[in-house]
Amino acid sequence: MLPGIRSAFFEGGFRLKPFRTCRTGRPRTTDGRRPPSACTVPAHSTSQHVHVDGLPRAGRIVCSLVLIACLAMPLSAFADDTTTADASSTANAADGITATTADTATVDVSDNLDSAIEQNASFGISDFTRLNKGTNKTYDDTYYGYRYAMVGVDAFAVIVANGYAVVYVPPATLDELGISLSDSATQQTLIDTLVGIDSAAAHGGQTLADLDPTYYFTSSPSYVVGDYTYAFNVEVEEGYYYATVTLAGSDDGSGGGLYAESGNLTTASGTTIATKATGIGALQEFFSTLDWRPLWVSLRTTGVAIVFVFILGLLAAWATIKVNSRLKDILDTVFTIPMVLPPTVCGFLLLLLFGNSTGVGRWLIAHGINLVFTWPAAVIACTVVAFPLMYRTTRGAFESLDETMLDAARTLGWSEGKVFTRLMLPMAWPSIAAGTVLAFARAMGEFGATLFFAGNYAGVTQTIPIAIYFDWMGGQTDAAIFWVVVVILISFLVILFINIYSSHTQRYRMGGNVESDR
Amino acid sequence: MKQRTRSVLITCVFAAALAGVLALAGCSSSSNQNDNSTNTNDAVSSEPAVQLQVFAANSLEKALPEVQALYTQQHPNVTFADTQFQASGTLTSKLKSGASADLLITASSSSMDTAVSDGTVDQTTRTDMFNNDLVICTSSTDDVTITSLADLATDKVTSIAIGDPNTVPAGSYAVQALQSAGLCTSTTDSSGKISVTWDASIADKINAGADSVGTVASYVQSGTCQVGFVYTSDIFRYDGIQVAYTTAADSHKTIKYPGAVCTTATNAAQAADFMDFCLTDPDAAAIFQKYGFELA
Repeated sequence: MLPGIRSAFFEGGFRLKPFRTCRTGRPRTTDGRRPPSACTVPAHSTSQHVHVDGLPRAGRIVCSLVLIACLAMPLSAFADDTTTADASSTANAADGITATTADTATVDVSDNLDSAIEQNASFGISDFTRLNKGTNKTYDDTYYGYRYAMVGVDAFAVIVANGYAVVYVPPATLDELGISLSDSATQQTLIDTLVGIDSAAAHGGQTLADLDPTYYFTSSPSYVVGDYTYAFNVEVEEGYYYATVTLAGSDDGSGGGLYAESGNLTTASGTTIATKATGIGALQEFFSTLDWRPLWVSLRTTGVAIVFVFILGLLAAWATIKVNSRLKDILDTVFTIPMVLPPTVCGFLLLLLFGNSTGVGRWLIAHGINLVFTWPAAVIACTVVAFPLMYRTTRGAFESLDETMLDAARTLGWSEGKVFTRLMLPMAWPSIAAGTVLAFARAMGEFGATLFFAGNYAGVTQTIPIAIYFDWMGGQTDAAIFWVVVVILISFLVILFINIYSSHTQRYRMGGNVESDR
Repeated sequence: MKQRTRSVLITCVFAAALAGVLALAGCSSSSNQNDNSTNTNDAVSSEPAVQLQVFAANSLEKALPEVQALYTQQHPNVTFADTQFQASGTLTSKLKSGASADLLITASSSSMDTAVSDGTVDQTTRTDMFNNDLVICTSSTDDVTITSLADLATDKVTSIAIGDPNTVPAGSYAVQALQSAGLCTSTTDSSGKISVTWDASIADKINAGADSVGTVASYVQSGTCQVGFVYTSDIFRYDGIQVAYTTAADSHKTIKYPGAVCTTATNAAQAADFMDFCLTDPDAAAIFQKYGFELA
């Protein structure tokens, strides 16, 4: 799963690069690898320029369309607004007060599942809550039964059990609303409203609609069904009221309740139904609730990592071309290997190096360097993984420089440092810039090593790629899709930048020739 | 000459950009370092401000943050660092490999046993916090009826997701339940590693690699797998999944969520207070009940 996401989203930028270099006509080297500097080195065939300019433009348009489609996706996620639920219920006649008529009614349920009202009904439900579990826990060493919290002293409560449901409405509420629990129309309205809001609030759990229980209505604080005694408005702790289930002679009443619901019955005018925001409103709500920290963490981590990558990559490339060929092979392998190793291996090695499971790690921790699962760890992970891209691109550029020109500078008495800063750097600059941008993109997409070594701490080490995985895993698919779009956009801009910059440099360098060819 | 001017210009732009990023990092990294950071609350309380780092079982991902928000409301001096909601086995491994935390809540007694034997938690503070049930979930749009575990072996079930039994407690409970129904056999070696041999009737349907119980729920939600073994509480924190079958309580070990203060805790007393709050506060209890956690 993890490598799948990573490679699909974050390595795209790198894979596109050879594709681009094909068009510029840069020949492959003998080992099959495209010279890393291919993007920015003048093309050998000037006649291909027409194609180079034409094709990417079409490609850019296609990419833009894809991106626009992607951007529209979060919108579609908000499209299904189902604020009304059809509630049809039948209740069988049995002992006690039960509803006997079947009725199909339309119940409006608030988007926040707080309130519901049946059309044309005189009362509705407010402050609704569904408790999927109760507790047998004692309070001050007193056992009260299997208890479910009620929302207040005047609240109604429903305890749903196997085959039946006990509905309690306090007498004060009935008086206030001017309704009677023995009135069958009131019962039906109450059932319809309950079934409507219960279906919306069940969230995949059992529903009254499916269980189709027999409803017992009561306004007395205690009600007996079979072996179970149901008590309501039990003040266990000052100010906190519970609906309880007790089984005579037992300290476990949980068998008498599947789940419970509570809320306040309010007049029709006092029941406010919040409707779900749609379109722009939904989008605004999405963005106002979105956790933006992954973006800042990504930028911060990558921004610092790229400084190290830039400096280390340049120095490593310079050092490598200076040494003799055998040492060069070994150095090159060491510098390139993080690109070939799975990021999890890099992460694991870093964890072993700095964690307290090895001697080195313990020594470091004893000396105050405890990096595991901290932000510096994320920077180190990014640096290690992105370094080879910078190094290889830069080395390729240095090697393609005209050695005689460098020698000429040396004969003029330039020091190696001056040759490096005044000659090599400016001449290889387009490649260095491209390498930096590529390394930046790679660091931005880093997942495996970061997760391994720095963990997933929101606002500290949770970068966008990590946020995508954990948002998806946590059921926040919309947020995951949003970050995917952000990553695609960033990758798109990175590649676009390299393409434009390199073709610009090429045109600039070849300016005279192209004119004369035409 | 022109080229050199350009190069210098570009270098300057890059340098400026990098400097900007560094400044940004410098400003914000200090405030983001977890632990010991003194959060300046305008609290009237004279108690020192502390930030608790909680490691909690993945299934608590929706319920616990609400309780934490409630706790911060009542105790403004206590805030919470980003709580790690991962598989209990992953959390104990992280503690062992040097992660620091104040409080650990796992989804099984055995993972807490591991933490105790690793020496990462203080055994004297260990308390059973919640009970949960193991259920088989399906997508809300799937109307398959499952009346027993044996139904998993029939043609009506095409794929089954369970958590990795070695790190995800819900996965090991699922293995126990399947074993009680004769659908697999499992062995535990001396290091505690569980190896499972699936019965031929379900062997090619099982996906036992999910890295947390939430991943199992996501597999079912997204249709990657048809059914999955999750806790009752997971049904209420994910859209689009429903209970298809509740496993018998005697088909697996009792599902208990023990909590304990970590030995590396920098705020051990406050962590113990928060654990006590979870267990005794009526408003916290209502939140846990809403999400289907039964207080033990």
